[in-house]
Amino acid sequence: MARVITITSGKGGVGKTTTTANLGTALAMLGQRVVVIDADIGLRNLDVVMGLENRIVYDLVDAVEGRCRLRQALIKDKRFPELFLLPAAQTRDKDAVSPEDMIALTNELRREFDFILIDSPAGIEGGFRNAIASADEVLIVTTPEVSAVRDADRIVGLVEAYEKGHPRLIINRLKPRMVARGDMMDTSDVVEILAIDLIGIVPEDETIVISTNRGEVAVLERNSLAGRSFSDIARRLLGEDVPMLVFEERQGVWGSLIGRLRARRSER
Amino acid sequence: MSFLDTMLGRRRESSSHVAKERLLTVLVHDRVKLTPEDLENMKREIIDVISRYVEVTDPGSIEVTLTRGDQSDHLKADIPLRRSR
Ligand SMILES: Nc1ncnc2c1ncn2[C@@H]1O[C@H](COP(=O)(O)OP(=O)(O)OP(=O)(O)O)[C@@H](O)[C@H]1O
Ligand SMILES: [Mg+2]
Repeated sequence: MARVITITSGKGGVGKTTTTANLGTALAMLGQRVVVIDADIGLRNLDVVMGLENRIVYDLVDAVEGRCRLRQALIKDKRFPELFLLPAAQTRDKDAVSPEDMIALTNELRREFDFILIDSPAGIEGGFRNAIASADEVLIVTTPEVSAVRDADRIVGLVEAYEKGHPRLIINRLKPRMVARGDMMDTSDVVEILAIDLIGIVPEDETIVISTNRGEVAVLERNSLAGRSFSDIARRLLGEDVPMLVFEERQGVWGSLIGRLRARRSER
Repeated sequence: MSFLDTMLGRRRESSSHVAKERLLTVLVHDRVKLTPEDLENMKREIIDVISRYVEVTDPGSIEVTLTRGDQSDHLKADIPLRRSR
């Protein structure tokens, strides 16, 4: 029986789609059968982030409205035979599906997969309600900025109101250099403010942009710190006790000139 | 930061600290879900109750603030009373 996990945020553009693509791939790399669902109807994106845009024939709305069988709308990943994408419709809007549709759809998939990851649209309206309806667990993505954290807090309240248990937090786009000079809230600040469990910290990382340009995902890159962070989160989802990465600027003249990050595991 | 502050070596608070403090305050307000209208009505009713016992100088000058405490959040009302002997 699959675990249905919704990735949401409140504020837009903080990294939900990036997170969904990377966690889905990382879980598949760990041998899990995974389907990632793009619930951002009308603003389809997960397909391009995963590099699967050329393979789409049917979409989520086609499946819901019976123009195809659900199986036919699933797109198989380029690399992993047990990773699938259910793309959003691009020409419809969020009202084309209801929370009940989403529950029926995920129930049909539950038997065949280990993980169903749902990429939620930004906001707290219909699209969010669709994305959260069938969730067993919720991951909230935020950046360490005031507006994103404020919106995340709102989402925490809603997730609890929908009785979806305790959401877990992903802090994305952390810039260690700014944290070090006191110009960005640190992980501990954000966790204290939101008072929910942290499941991962992902640094700001150019490899995200580069991978996305190519339709690849960062977890496939050996040298991507963000990719490593996402892989760690996937392992934590599987119950492994993986220490958090601690990011630090590389020491020395060259290190600081290049401003390269390195990471080590936190000691516990 | 003023020139004097710089001269006296007073350091400016880090922007991340300011961000955190502002967020904590904003979230207390967000979380109580008190509309501005509710807040106005509440102030009026507080004044009514207090005025039954003591003389309030200026009913318009009551100040209600929400702050974050360690265990719980606090609503504080500051009501100026007429000074008399
Ligand atoms: N850790 C990171 N480092 C660098 N860039 C990042 C990182 N995470 C996300 N981005 C970039 O930020 C942008 C927004 O990311 P993404 O599309 O995943 O956000 P979203 O929350 O899904 O947005 P929306 O609310 O519009 O759906 C993208 O250009 C992405 O490449
Ligand atoms: Mg998105």
